Amino acid sequence: MKNAGILMILGSAMLVGLFFFPMWNIRLGAPQYPEPLGIDIHVNGLRGESEFDIQNIDGLNHYIGMKTLPKPEDMWEFSVFPKVVAAMALIGIVIGILGMFQKISPIWFIVWFVLMSILGALGIYDFNLWLVSYGSDLDPNAILKLVNPDGTPMQYNPPLIGHKKLLNFDAFSYPRTGGILMGVGMLLTLVAYFLGRKSQVTTK
Amino acid sequence: MKVTILNPLVLLVLPALIWPCTSPGEAETASDSSAITESHPMGQASVVDNVSDANILQVAVSSEPHSTLVAAVQAAQIEHILVNAGPLTVFAPVNGAFDALPEGTVENLLKPENKSDLATILTRHAAPGSYDLAALQREAKKGRKLYMATGDYLEVTSDGDKVDRWRCNDSRHYTCLKWNYTCDRKSDSTLNNNQNEN
Amino acid sequence: MKTKISLINTLFLSSLAMLMSCGQSGDSGSSGALGSSIAEKVYVAPGERDEQYAFLSGGYSGNLTVYGLPSGRLFKEIPVFSQFPTSGYGYSEETKPMLNTSFGFIPWDDLHHPDISQTNGELDGRWVFANGNNTPRIARISLTTFETEEIIEVPNSAGNHSSSFITENTEYVVAGTRFSVPVPQKDMPIKDYKSNFKGALTFIAVDQQHGHMDIKFQLMMPGFNYDLSHPGRGKSHGWFFFSTYNTEEANTLLEVNASQNDKDFIAAVNWKKIEQYVNNGGGTKMAAKYAHNVYDESTHTATSTIKEEVLTVNPADVPGAIYFLPTPKSPHGCDVDPNGDYIIGAGKLSANITVHSFDKMLAAIKGQKFDGDAYGIPILNYDDVLAGSVQSGGLGPLHTEFDGRGNAYTTFFISSEVVKWKLGTWEVVDRKPTYYSVGHLMIPGGNSRKPHGKYLVAMNKITKDRYLPTGPEMEHSAQIYDISGEKMELLYDFPTHGEPHYAAGCNAELLVNNSKKIYRLDENKHPYGITRPSEARVERKGKEVHIYMATIRSHFTPDNIEGVKVGDKVYFHITNHEQDFDVPHGFSMIGQGTSEILIMPGQTKTSLWEPKRVGVWPFYCTDFCSALHQEMQGYVRVSPANSNIELSWSLDDE
Repeated sequence: MKNAGILMILGSAMLVGLFFFPMWNIRLGAPQYPEPLGIDIHVNGLRGESEFDIQNIDGLNHYIGMKTLPKPEDMWEFSVFPKVVAAMALIGIVIGILGMFQKISPIWFIVWFVLMSILGALGIYDFNLWLVSYGSDLDPNAILKLVNPDGTPMQYNPPLIGHKKLLNFDAFSYPRTGGILMGVGMLLTLVAYFLGRKSQVTTK
Repeated sequence: MKVTILNPLVLLVLPALIWPCTSPGEAETASDSSAITESHPMGQASVVDNVSDANILQVAVSSEPHSTLVAAVQAAQIEHILVNAGPLTVFAPVNGAFDALPEGTVENLLKPENKSDLATILTRHAAPGSYDLAALQREAKKGRKLYMATGDYLEVTSDGDKVDRWRCNDSRHYTCLKWNYTCDRKSDSTLNNNQNEN
Repeated sequence: MKTKISLINTLFLSSLAMLMSCGQSGDSGSSGALGSSIAEKVYVAPGERDEQYAFLSGGYSGNLTVYGLPSGRLFKEIPVFSQFPTSGYGYSEETKPMLNTSFGFIPWDDLHHPDISQTNGELDGRWVFANGNNTPRIARISLTTFETEEIIEVPNSAGNHSSSFITENTEYVVAGTRFSVPVPQKDMPIKDYKSNFKGALTFIAVDQQHGHMDIKFQLMMPGFNYDLSHPGRGKSHGWFFFSTYNTEEANTLLEVNASQNDKDFIAAVNWKKIEQYVNNGGGTKMAAKYAHNVYDESTHTATSTIKEEVLTVNPADVPGAIYFLPTPKSPHGCDVDPNGDYIIGAGKLSANITVHSFDKMLAAIKGQKFDGDAYGIPILNYDDVLAGSVQSGGLGPLHTEFDGRGNAYTTFFISSEVVKWKLGTWEVVDRKPTYYSVGHLMIPGGNSRKPHGKYLVAMNKITKDRYLPTGPEMEHSAQIYDISGEKMELLYDFPTHGEPHYAAGCNAELLVNNSKKIYRLDENKHPYGITRPSEARVERKGKEVHIYMATIRSHFTPDNIEGVKVGDKVYFHITNHEQDFDVPHGFSMIGQGTSEILIMPGQTKTSLWEPKRVGVWPFYCTDFCSALHQEMQGYVRVSPANSNIELSWSLDDE
């Protein structure tokens, strides 16, 4: 149970990585951008991969009427997410410590994991909602108004994950260090649960 | 026999040079088999140009009395030097000058193995600079020597209004002796502005 | 069956190649006939990049061109001494001061010898220096922005030709005069040249942090012509060598009169000794007017200052600092090998190349073995300093560079060839023709302690039929040779711009990572720059109208301006608000008596327009900046001089 507790502490502590590393990244590459423009999505806001990437993406997007990329103050998510992440990390660590000293059952580990998964799924759902609105809520006076072959207005939302062709740009969307740390951390808490249960069974 | 200065127009100042193409031992490096070089085997002399003023090579080629000289230039493979921007003045021996050399001399020099010797001899007949007859007379009057492309000096003497004699000042070299021989064979070896006069 | 045919073809082709080469010699061992392998050596596939940079002087274009090796592709023309309408250099208000001199604004010069800055004798890629020959000047070009940052005029000089070569830690950039002149200038008979004219050798100190140049001292040498120069390096660091011609001191018909002496000199100057003398208060200050122009990257603006004084040194006052090395036949090139052992003087009327030994020179100086003196400067014995002579078999040797493997390469103008020879044994090991009449050659790093001896570029003076004809005037030609093997191999032939004299080159890695992509808008200190479009405005100061304008894809802010009157001087101060690599905007106004300006991201440039007619006059962006480039335009309303229409400006009626 001791090892399980340590794993639980470690796993939930890895959420803290989100405060240091970007969670997700969207890259836009095109022939005239051999060094792709990139947006790093942090838990508390968007940052350009290179210093002027945000400005340059906004500059390009204004042709097709997309809104400028949100500043931290423009989206409630960027103030709420850090609090949720910090709270979950703290709770996880506390559960881990209690578990380590066998004060609570490893069931709590899986409870934490499930809760975190639900929150994560909500986060991703919310992220996707934003992507869709960002890519489809277009200025009616846009310079370029493009339509799909079927006549519907073209949408420019980048993929949630993976690759998508947006006009002349190739958009790539993948988790980055912060997101990967979070995923690995959550897996560790799951392992902690099974380890803890196993040791409980053997001690009994 | 006369030595004339080749002149495409009136008197012969030729902006180009004669030079020893290769020194002994390097003949084999003079070209590679590259197709790039083959497009211009004679260097600048390969340029087709029938409009500009004739260059030294073209003057010589079109002058019957210089046919031996042209053959020698071709044997020495120094055509491209004669069309260079120079400036160069060639003291061009007419055929008679070559004829006056000891029996077999010219034939021997025209052999491929003597290419660099031949080039050196021809080079001795070229001065870096533009000299027409008036300029040569001025040099003679001021007692100035002409620097030749081989590094030898040519002393120019003027004998009256009509006869200008020139001779090589350095008789140590075999080739220079030859050259002296060429000029000294006849006491009236004049610089003549009529390139067709024999 | 197919195999057979191609085999036969191959045999046929190779025998053909043999025949062709037999025309000149029996040797056809080289594989050069296989043109495809040569093509591969210079082929840089689309999207791939060259191995090396080459900075070719533009000669009478006054500018510097940047090429890639081995492809021979032109990357940029950097304006230096000439107005350049392509970017507005010398036309924009910010850059006009760069071309100021003590003679006033000079829109042109003749740029000859680029030299890349060095540290410990190796290229360091900070700056490239270049000389203006005609109105003597030295320029410093940044290798992060690839723009001219500084130009200093050289007083008491004329035909600034033995320039702009740097010492091995870029302590000095050195400028020697080609013409000797009266110093100070005065009204005197030309025929009194002899022993009255002086030849100034100028040592310009370089600030190591900013590169700023300042004349440390001018050495007032006898009235010879100082042709070319190079620094000592390694063991000979601290010395500088200058070739001379016209030691006859002729003032007319130099083609004859300056060719009378059997030998001229290479002047060896111990600049460290003179520097010490000057640091201890030596030298004489004399009045001399010269301009010093500096471009400030943060204000994007140049300022010109006229200086009034220069420190001169009389050689007689620093005994033991200068010696003459007799060198045959009007030496032109004056080159020093990578180890600093040998000083190579190429007598341009000679068939041979003279090599002096630095060690022998020191020994002869120590032994006080002199062969007289010239104006008090000791002349060393030719035989005492001679290391060897290259029996080249060529004619008209000019310049020598090195590959760092013990070989030297000398160009021959009259015999149109590059000759490779060995340092120490002086034997000729290879020769290749050039097309035609080669001047300088350049091996990247070939005049440093560490040459990158892979490619050699021969810069030729005569083009004739090398390319498709373009009328009487043609660009000059250059040829690239692969020199990595024992024999040189001609790879490629490409036209150059202007009249390339010399060039400097370096490996690409030295520069690629330092090359700037944009100027930061938040570092823009231009007095008329604006960092936000909301600051755009128009101000009147008497007859002057200042328009603070911003550009971003794809509009000007403001783009409608009224209240300008005939007779006004209208200054468009345009700041490019892009912070994206390679998105410049241009600007031009109808009827403007100047060129367009091209504004880099984050930069501010100013264009002057003096409206002469009433009307509504358009301006537009001259650089295809975006898909809506054509929409990037605006109007200025010009009213009569006595009109009382107020100044106003707008974008989208706001």
